[in-house]
Amino acid sequence: MKTFRQHSLLIVSATVLVIFTAVAIFAPFIAPNDPYYVDLTQKLQPSSKGYPLGTDHLGRCQLSRLLFGARTSLSTACIVMSITFCISVPIGIFAGYMGGIIDTWFIRICDMLMAFPSFLLSLAFVGMLGPSYGHLILAMVCVQWVFYARFIRGMVLSVKERSFVMVARICGTSPFKIAIKHIVPTILSSVIVLLFMDIGGVILSISGLSFLGLGVQPPNAELGMMINDSKPYFRSHPMQMMYPGLIIFFVVISFNVFGESLRQWLQVERRL
Amino acid sequence: MKKRNIWAVSLIVLTIILALAGCSQQDENKIAATKDDKKVFTFSWSGDIGDLNPHTYFPNEFFSQAMVYESLVYYGEDGEIKPWLAKSWDVLEDGKEYIFHLRDDVKFSDGSAFNAAIVKKNFDAVLANREQHDWIDLINQIKTTEVIDNYTFKLTLHHAYYPTLQELTYVRPLRFVAESAFPASGDTFTDGLTAPIGTGPWVLKEHKENEYAIFESNDTYWGEKPKVDEVVVKVITDGESRVLAFEKGELDMIFGNGVISQDSFKFLKESGKYETKISEPTATRTLLFNTNRETMSDKNIRLALQHAFDKDAVIDNIFYGIERKADTLFPQNLTYTNVEVDPYAYDVEKATALLDEAGWKTVKGKEFREKDGQPLQLELLFISTDNIQKSIAEFVQGDLRKIGVDVKLTSQESNTFWTTAFDGHYDILFTATWANPFDPHSYLASITTDSSGGGPDYYALSGLSFKKELDTRIKEVLLTTTEEDRIKQYHQILTMLHEEAVYLPISYQSNIAVYKKNILGVDFLPQEVEIPTTTIDMKN
Repeated sequence: MKTFRQHSLLIVSATVLVIFTAVAIFAPFIAPNDPYYVDLTQKLQPSSKGYPLGTDHLGRCQLSRLLFGARTSLSTACIVMSITFCISVPIGIFAGYMGGIIDTWFIRICDMLMAFPSFLLSLAFVGMLGPSYGHLILAMVCVQWVFYARFIRGMVLSVKERSFVMVARICGTSPFKIAIKHIVPTILSSVIVLLFMDIGGVILSISGLSFLGLGVQPPNAELGMMINDSKPYFRSHPMQMMYPGLIIFFVVISFNVFGESLRQWLQVERRL
Repeated sequence: MKKRNIWAVSLIVLTIILALAGCSQQDENKIAATKDDKKVFTFSWSGDIGDLNPHTYFPNEFFSQAMVYESLVYYGEDGEIKPWLAKSWDVLEDGKEYIFHLRDDVKFSDGSAFNAAIVKKNFDAVLANREQHDWIDLINQIKTTEVIDNYTFKLTLHHAYYPTLQELTYVRPLRFVAESAFPASGDTFTDGLTAPIGTGPWVLKEHKENEYAIFESNDTYWGEKPKVDEVVVKVITDGESRVLAFEKGELDMIFGNGVISQDSFKFLKESGKYETKISEPTATRTLLFNTNRETMSDKNIRLALQHAFDKDAVIDNIFYGIERKADTLFPQNLTYTNVEVDPYAYDVEKATALLDEAGWKTVKGKEFREKDGQPLQLELLFISTDNIQKSIAEFVQGDLRKIGVDVKLTSQESNTFWTTAFDGHYDILFTATWANPFDPHSYLASITTDSSGGGPDYYALSGLSFKKELDTRIKEVLLTTTEEDRIKQYHQILTMLHEEAVYLPISYQSNIAVYKKNILGVDFLPQEVEIPTTTIDMKN
């Protein structure tokens, strides 16, 4: 019974995510209008044939902007996650495998960075560097990588004591080869599950920063920024704010449920 | 054991939360407690009031400086100069000497007397930093300051300078602080004041930086006393939060320009629950082009932008007609600004032709125009908390995209905005003229100087080939002695600026006021930057 519920959750969330991803990828083909075309005479129009969800405060097609907004959010989250992955895997494995003073220093740095709430830290980063898309990604990665690197290090510590690694070492295999051939395959599934579980949070942070005007810059559409744009009209046109809000809500919850179900399904231990 | 730990941790967390909640509650209580027995009027401002020093500029706000400090003469309706701390004055030597007869019943809020000696001390303190204040040409013109007797003060000028009295009405820097407020060095510009002590109707009672400031009525004030006992200025940076605070009843009034979006203003007005007012046009909202940037140094580009900007769309759909369309740098109703020039009409074809002529050609398969492989990108700088600027900026970005111009929007919080503006790191900048009593002469004078009281215009215009000539002409007009000359020369200067297309005037802006129905006496003052705190009264 329990497994059925888990599976159904996995399937439902996966479906939502597949749709979301498809929409994001094919946004330029699905969008009924140019999301950047400004026409003040069409400001804040209700739903119509030409504009299925109406228009925003500059007369731009709301639906097209939502589609492009989803694209921006998802692609940014993917970029952040890939860079994080590329940085944290080698560093985590290196620190965990080498141990000793390197590991001690690594843990110190991690503790230092993890002492701050991550959103606050990225806010400070972007605040200092100035608002731009590149800085947004940089800030997110700077804050994210420590968590993964630390998690990976923990796993490496236990994996390196296991017999197959010991045997490889005794046979004289080089540390680099051990890392690639033996350690990475063992920890990979856990890392991927963790990435999936966090992607929702990353999307939320990107939207949060963009809402504050520190992330994605206009005219690019982004869900958080759209919520901010609709702020002056939330009394007269509440749906302007609801659409992007609902999308963020469903996407983030789907990523979280999907990650969690995946973890249970693959029986990955959750530890940091 | 584990369970007990959880309890202990929860208890500690709970204690901390309660303690923190208590702290913020205390602040609220403090403001609320005074409310019961006194008339307390509350409004909000987007930034902090600053350190309340009349001899300095940013981050001081005009309105707060005007609440605490007063001038020798007052700028009244229609530009009439009225007696204030000086009850009368004589102009001698064909306008080179001014003798002020001071009131003898004025006291600073610390009880010390206001007299000619302290007037001289304040003037001298300002003059010690001449270069910081020379956006007002009067500062350059002052030769000597003299105490004739206890209540007579004499000002001697190098030349007959026609705006002398008008410039003495300004909120800064020629206003007076008490002896006890001077720092040991006597340099109020660099070292600040020991305390904000002035002669004005309000005294600063409490100030928590970036949160609130409380002013109380000055008991020893010589003039008509304010009708409410205290004024609370809360710092709320965001327009929508301000509207919400007002609707919740935390604020009695919303006042100013760009403080809330036009949509919110319309909403509050149409709700029928509040009183609303719009002032006569005060200053001109304009875009300023930075002629030091390579792209913008080309006159054709500037002209193209003038023709590509759809002002009517902005006036109708962003301002809902609340602000009127502007075609000239200054409203035509000011003295000396009534110039006949051909306005730049909205004409997309002409704009594209001008861009082509300037060498910025459309490239097949690319969205934006290019010249020598470089895309045409212009950086537009605006204040992130200013809702109107943001709307216009996004509109401009969207509209210029249609003719292949990439507008990059950079939004900055107002402190950083002005620093960037003064440093010239932008192509296009939102700015505004200074309204009465500064327009047009002080605004134009500021173009000729890089002093901190001036504007970003000095740097922005310095890329023009005839900048030196322009400066000389502006300096000359200030020293003209006949009305006829003045009209002629202002006409030349304003035509020159119009033809070079360095400013793109958008609208004549107005102050708005939205206030509760129990508030009386909300009127717009002749100096646009002042808030009518002394006339405001509250009914119960």
